[in-house]
Amino acid sequence: MKKAFPWVLLAACLLYVLSGFRPPSGKDGVLASVGRLPVLQGGRVKPLDTVARNALMSLRGKQSVTSPAGRLEPVAWLLDQVADPGSADELKVFRIDDPDVLGLLGKRAERGRYWSLGELGGGLHELEAQAERAHRVEPAFQTRFEKAVVTLYDRIGIYFRLRRTLALAERGSSAAVIAELEAALKAGGKKGPAPKLMELAQRFGMLAEQSYFLPLLPAADEAPEAWTSVGAALLDAAGGAPLRPGVREYAALLDAHRGRDLAGVEAAARALAALAEARVPGAARKASREAFFNRLAPFSKGMALYVVVLLLASFSWLGWKPTLRDSAFWVLSLAFLLHTAGLLARMVLEGRPPVTNLYSSAVFVGWGGVLLALALERLFRLGIGSAVGAALGFCSLLIAHHLSMSGDTMEMMQAVLDSNFWLATHVITITIGYSSVFLAGALAHVYLFGRVLGRSDAPLRKALTQMTYGILCFALLFTFIGTVLGGIWADQSWGRFWGWDPKENGALLILLWVAIILHARRAGLVREKGLMVMAVFGNIVTALSWFGVNMLGIGLHSYGFMDQAALWLAVFTSSQVVVMALALLPEGRGPK
Amino acid sequence: MKSRLRRWRDALASMELTLAALGLLTVLVVFCTLDQVNLGTHGAVNKYFRSFLLYAVIPGTGWAIPVFPAGGFTGLLLVVNLVSALAYRIPLRWSKAGLWFIHVGLILLVAGEVVTGAFSRETHMSLDEGGTSNFSESLHEDELVIVDRSDPAADQVFSIPAAALADGKELRDPAWPFSLRVKAAFPSAEAGPRPLGESLPPSLADQGLGAGLILRPAPEGTNEASQPAAFVEVEAAGARLGTWLLWSGLAAEQGFSVAGKPYSMVLRKRRRYYPFSLTLKDFTHEVYPGTEIPKNFSSLVRLANPGSGEERDVLIYMNHPLRYMGQTFYQASYGKGDTLSILQVVQNPGWLLPYISFLLVCAGLGVHFVLELLKFKPAAAQSAEEGR
Repeated sequence: MKKAFPWVLLAACLLYVLSGFRPPSGKDGVLASVGRLPVLQGGRVKPLDTVARNALMSLRGKQSVTSPAGRLEPVAWLLDQVADPGSADELKVFRIDDPDVLGLLGKRAERGRYWSLGELGGGLHELEAQAERAHRVEPAFQTRFEKAVVTLYDRIGIYFRLRRTLALAERGSSAAVIAELEAALKAGGKKGPAPKLMELAQRFGMLAEQSYFLPLLPAADEAPEAWTSVGAALLDAAGGAPLRPGVREYAALLDAHRGRDLAGVEAAARALAALAEARVPGAARKASREAFFNRLAPFSKGMALYVVVLLLASFSWLGWKPTLRDSAFWVLSLAFLLHTAGLLARMVLEGRPPVTNLYSSAVFVGWGGVLLALALERLFRLGIGSAVGAALGFCSLLIAHHLSMSGDTMEMMQAVLDSNFWLATHVITITIGYSSVFLAGALAHVYLFGRVLGRSDAPLRKALTQMTYGILCFALLFTFIGTVLGGIWADQSWGRFWGWDPKENGALLILLWVAIILHARRAGLVREKGLMVMAVFGNIVTALSWFGVNMLGIGLHSYGFMDQAALWLAVFTSSQVVVMALALLPEGRGPK
Repeated sequence: MKSRLRRWRDALASMELTLAALGLLTVLVVFCTLDQVNLGTHGAVNKYFRSFLLYAVIPGTGWAIPVFPAGGFTGLLLVVNLVSALAYRIPLRWSKAGLWFIHVGLILLVAGEVVTGAFSRETHMSLDEGGTSNFSESLHEDELVIVDRSDPAADQVFSIPAAALADGKELRDPAWPFSLRVKAAFPSAEAGPRPLGESLPPSLADQGLGAGLILRPAPEGTNEASQPAAFVEVEAAGARLGTWLLWSGLAAEQGFSVAGKPYSMVLRKRRRYYPFSLTLKDFTHEVYPGTEIPKNFSSLVRLANPGSGEERDVLIYMNHPLRYMGQTFYQASYGKGDTLSILQVVQNPGWLLPYISFLLVCAGLGVHFVLELLKFKPAAAQSAEEGR
C-alpha cells in the first residue's frame, strides 16, 4: 500500500491532466467547432472561444456562467447572447462589488455580487447619467464610486457590442434580415433607393460602428489584416456590392442555434471553417490551436495539482512521512511539467518570450519559484521544498487568473516593448529575481511558523537558513542582471541608462533589500531569525515593486490602474507584517 | 593616535557603513518614487539624487536647513566605503576575485550615474515632414535671444540663459547700441489673451504682442516643462523704447529698431546647434489592425553633413536610434496628425560605464557564487532519512 501509493496517485493526476486531450463530442463538440472559428480582435486573429472567454472573464471574473439549464461554456453563452437575447438577459453575468453602485441601481448587496441585465434594467438610466458625469473626471481623480460606475457602464457597453457584432436583428431571424435587404435592393427603381433600404443601411451602419470584433475574412485581393464586421459587409451590400462570404453562414449559424438545431449549427460552423481554411489557412490553424489550448486549461489544472501537493506535504507532517513526501515531490514535478507546457504553448501561440505583460509575469514568477523549489527539494529532501513550491505555484496562478480579468492575456505589445530580444533577457531575468525573493520569503514563513509552533529542531532550522540564504544569493544575481539589463534596454531605446522611473526604482529596491540582507548576515548583525524576518519583508518589497508602482500611474512602465489589486496588496502587506511579528513570540514547545 | 586613525579607517571600510549607505539609498529611492506624483520625475530626481543634502524650510522663517543626506552624499558614502573595503578589508586573493569584480563594478556604476548627472544632455528635435533642422531644444532650460540681422551674410545671435533673468537686472553688451532692463521675471508662467471689457490693471508691456496678453505666474516642477516669462524694457541713447513681454510659450520673435537697425528678441527653449542637419522625409505610425494600439513609430530622415560631405538616409525607429557625432537620436514622440516627428537627442559621455560595470559585476557574482557553491554541503540531508 505504502509503496504503491505515490505511483497510484501520480497516475491519477496524470489521467486528470490528459483528460483535456479527449475530444468533446455531441453538443460540446459542435460548440467547440464554433469556438475554433477565427476572428480579428485587439489587433490579432484569435478563436471565437478566446473572445467569449475574455469577455465573460471581464464581465464577471469567471470563465463560465450558470443558466437554468446548467453551466454554460463561454461560446454557448456568446451564441445565446446573440441569438437568444431574451434568455441571455436573465443570466447573471455582471459582477458588481461596489455597494454604492448597487445602491444606485436600487439593489441590496446581501443578494449577491452577480446580476443579470434584466435585474439591472430599471436602474440603467441612472447609471448612464452617473457614468457620463464620472467620465468627465480624470481617471486619476475619480472616487471609488465613480470608478465603479465607469467600470460597470463599460462592461454593459461590451455586453451590447458583443451582441451587435453578429446579430443582424435585435430579435428574430438573421436570414430574414438578409432577405429583407435583397428585397429592398430589388424594390429600388429609377427613382432611387427604396426607403426600406435607407432604414436598413442606417441600422447596418450602427452595427458596423458597434462591432466588438471582426468576424469576416479579408477577401482574396485584400491585405491579410483587412477583416470586416458583419455590419460593414451588409452596408457594402446595401450599396450594391456583392454580399461578403461568411455573412450568410453566420446568419445560418445563429438561426440554427436559436432553433436549437444542432446539426444546422454544425453545418454552418463547418462552412465558416472551410472559408477560413481557404482564405487564411495559417491564421485559421493558429486560432484552432489557441481554442485547443483554452480547453486544455493547463494553468487551472496546474492549480488543482498544486493544491494536491500542499495537502500531501501537510499530511506528511502527521505521519507516513517518506511516502507522502515522495508523492508530493512527484506530483509537484508533474504540476511543474504542466505549468511548463502551458508557458511553452503560450510562447508558440504568441511567437514571443514567456513574459509579455503583467498576467504572464505572474505565471512565470510561479514557474521560476517551483523550479527553484524542486531543486531545493532534490538537495534537502525535507518536504519543505515541495510545500513552498506548491504554495508559490498556486498563489501565482491564482494572481494570474485574477489579472486575466483585464482582458486578452495575449494582447499585442505596445511599440516600445515590441522587442523579443529584451523581453527574452531583461524581463525573464528580473522575473526570476522576483520568483527567488518570493521563494526565500516562503521558506522564511516555514521557519517562523515552525519556530512558534515548536515543530522545528536545530538541524531543520539550519537547513532552512541555508536554503533561504542560498536562494537570496540567487535572487541578488538575477535581480542585478535583470535590473541592469533593463537599464541597457532603456539606454538602447530612449537614450538613458537610468531614469529613476518608478518601475526601475522598484527593481532597485528589491536589489538593495537583498543586498542589505546578505550584508547584514555576513556582518553578523542578524542571525537565523533576523535573516528570516528580513526575508519575509522581501516579499513586501517585491510585491510593492511588482504591482505597487503600477498604481502610482506615472512613468513609462505603468500598465494601468488596478483598484482591486490595491486592496489585495494592502492585505498581503499586512499579512507579511504579522508573519514578521511572529519572531517576537517565544518559541513554542511543540507536541510531546 | 595611530589607533584612532585605524578605527576611522575600519569604520569607513566596515560593513555597517555599507548597510547604512544602502539603507539611506533605499529610503531615498522610496521617497523619490513617491514624490514623483507631486514633483514629476525630473523634479524628484533633482531633489533626491542630483543634490548633496535634502533641505526643509522652517515654517514661518523661510530658512532652509539640511535634514537628510541626498543622493550625492549617499553615493559618496558608498564609493568611500567600497574603496576602503577593497583597500583594507577584502584581501586581494583569488578566492575573493568575485568580490573584487563586484565591488569595482559597483564603483563604476555609481561613477556612471555621477557622470550622467553632471554631463548628459537631453534635448528634443522637432521635425515636420519635409522640414530640416540643425538644432535641438532643451526640455528644461530657456534662453533669451537677441538677433541682429543687419549683416546679410550672417546673423549675429546673443543668448542669455533664462535662469539669469531677475527683477531689475540690467543687460548690456558692447555690441549693442541699447540696454535691456528686466522689469519682472517669472520662472514659470501661463499667458492668454487679455479679456475685453474687464477692468484689469494695464499690462507692464506696452509694445509687441504682450500688450494684448495677460500673464499668470504658474507653479513649477511638474513633468511638463515650465515656460518662463519676463517683461523687458529696451532703452537706447537714454530714451525708453518700450516694454515687451517675452514668454517661452510664444514662439514668435518680436522686433524693435535702434538707429535704423532692426533687432529681434525672443524667449525660447535653449537651442543646441549641430554641424549637420536632419530632414524628415517620412514619419510613419503603424497600429495593430482594427485597434489604436501603436505597433511602431519610425522616422525616415536624411542626414546631411556639409563638413564631411556625408549625405545618407537613416531610419530611426523603436529601439533603433541613430548614433552620430556623440549624439544619439531616438524616436520620442509625434504630433500634428502624424506629420510631425519629435526626436530625443541625448549626449552622454558616460554611457559606456554602466555596460562595463554590468560585465564586471555579473562576472563577479558568477565567480563568487560558483566558489561558494563548491564549498556548500546541505545541512540535515541526513535527518531526512529519519522515520522511514
